[in-house]
Amino acid sequence: MRLSMSKKTICFIAILLMGFVLPPKKKIKVYLIGDSTMCEYEPKRAPLTGWGMPFRYLFDSSVTIDNRAKGGRSTRTFISENWWQPIADSLQEGDYVLMQFGHNDEAKEKKYKDRYTPVPDYKTNLIKFIRETREKKAYPVIITPVTRMRFDKAGRQMQTHVEYTAACYEIAKQYNVPLIDLDTKSRNLVEQLGPERAKLLFMQLDPGEHPSYPEGQKDNTHFNEYGARRVAELVLTGLREQDIALAERIVKSAMK
Amino acid sequence: MSNKEVKAYPETGWGMPFTHFFDSTIIVDNRARNGRSTKTFIGEGLWQPVADNVTEGDYVFIQFGHNDEVKTKASYTTEEEYVNNLTRYINESRLKKAIPVLITPVARRKFDLLGHIQGTHDVYSNLVREVARKNDVPLIDLDIKSQALLQQLGPETSKLLFNYLDPNEHPNYPEGKKDDTHFSELGARKMAEIVLAEIRNLKLGISNHIYTPVKK
Repeated sequence: MRLSMSKKTICFIAILLMGFVLPPKKKIKVYLIGDSTMCEYEPKRAPLTGWGMPFRYLFDSSVTIDNRAKGGRSTRTFISENWWQPIADSLQEGDYVLMQFGHNDEAKEKKYKDRYTPVPDYKTNLIKFIRETREKKAYPVIITPVTRMRFDKAGRQMQTHVEYTAACYEIAKQYNVPLIDLDTKSRNLVEQLGPERAKLLFMQLDPGEHPSYPEGQKDNTHFNEYGARRVAELVLTGLREQDIALAERIVKSAMK
Repeated sequence: MSNKEVKAYPETGWGMPFTHFFDSTIIVDNRARNGRSTKTFIGEGLWQPVADNVTEGDYVFIQFGHNDEVKTKASYTTEEEYVNNLTRYINESRLKKAIPVLITPVARRKFDLLGHIQGTHDVYSNLVREVARKNDVPLIDLDIKSQALLQQLGPETSKLLFNYLDPNEHPNYPEGKKDDTHFSELGARKMAEIVLAEIRNLKLGISNHIYTPVKK
């Protein structure tokens, strides 16, 4: 009886100690801000998938991924349409803001003048996101815009966001913000797959193949469910490479 | 076919994307389970609730074989038992005026050295075809159709349809994975699309309820 009591006591102390050594991780929110390549889509638009959708399954239960990305938005319209302010207001210490813009900022065609953002303004807007994130003791992470699929005649994937990716690098360096070069990573992935297989990452559907797109799709910008996951994996690799503390919250495998 | 737990992602059953193919009059209730054969699906009490709950006009899509045909598995089901179990699913569906549809087991990724796709369910797929003919049940020959898709893509590209992961690519599989049976999101959706195309070809009543987007 005495022995079992003391065993219980030891157990109790051990659990208590473990509690001190391994405090439960503080719950945090990770806000994703960006465009259509990142955002959520309703099931009836499947297989169209933003990379923020599979990204949420890559973390443990201490992380809530709050995907606030919006299709068609540039840094400028994300602010002007008041998508940013509510995030800035609700940020808590230890939260993250992962920002990926560029596709709409760089759209110079006349029909996109509502979203076009020249590089200097793009930088100013990134700085605003960074500054206001840090004001709340949260962590900004810059992500260069994920590539479009565009092969040259020699079968090499071309750079599709040159100026805006360069701007990301500049701001990251200037403000000492971790940067994940998704542009380069995704370009490498697309090139490695080659012109035919890379199509399997994008919204490429034959007519009649999928009920939601009866006329088919030939889209070299937006991802299907598979491409979105591959891109989310690239961002995860970037988190690890950049030693961003968020990587400590990547889900542990529960597969046997 | 089954709904996967988050911890098994990105492994995806083809029933998962299939859910989104229909309009709001159809509820796809995916009762498929990993590892089950026609025998263990009954033995574990997974079939009875379906039989109890189906009502007139419902459909029961039946696809087994992967776990029936492997002699070393506890789920192994002899050819005779397999036929009997499929027949039981059909009869008990029809008893409730529901509509059974048989599906041959979806292909595994197995190529010979020359890059020709190899059947891996030939015996059990044939049994499904026989049961379908004998009982006048609509048949979706997913085995043949999915083999054709894998052949078209070839040995390398077809890996993208399966749960193939490099080490450290996905946190659920830190050591990586080379699975020639279970699908990625892409493979699951491609298989679901084959099933849907066959539903159209068979002109099953349910094909009138395939989702159509509102024209903008």
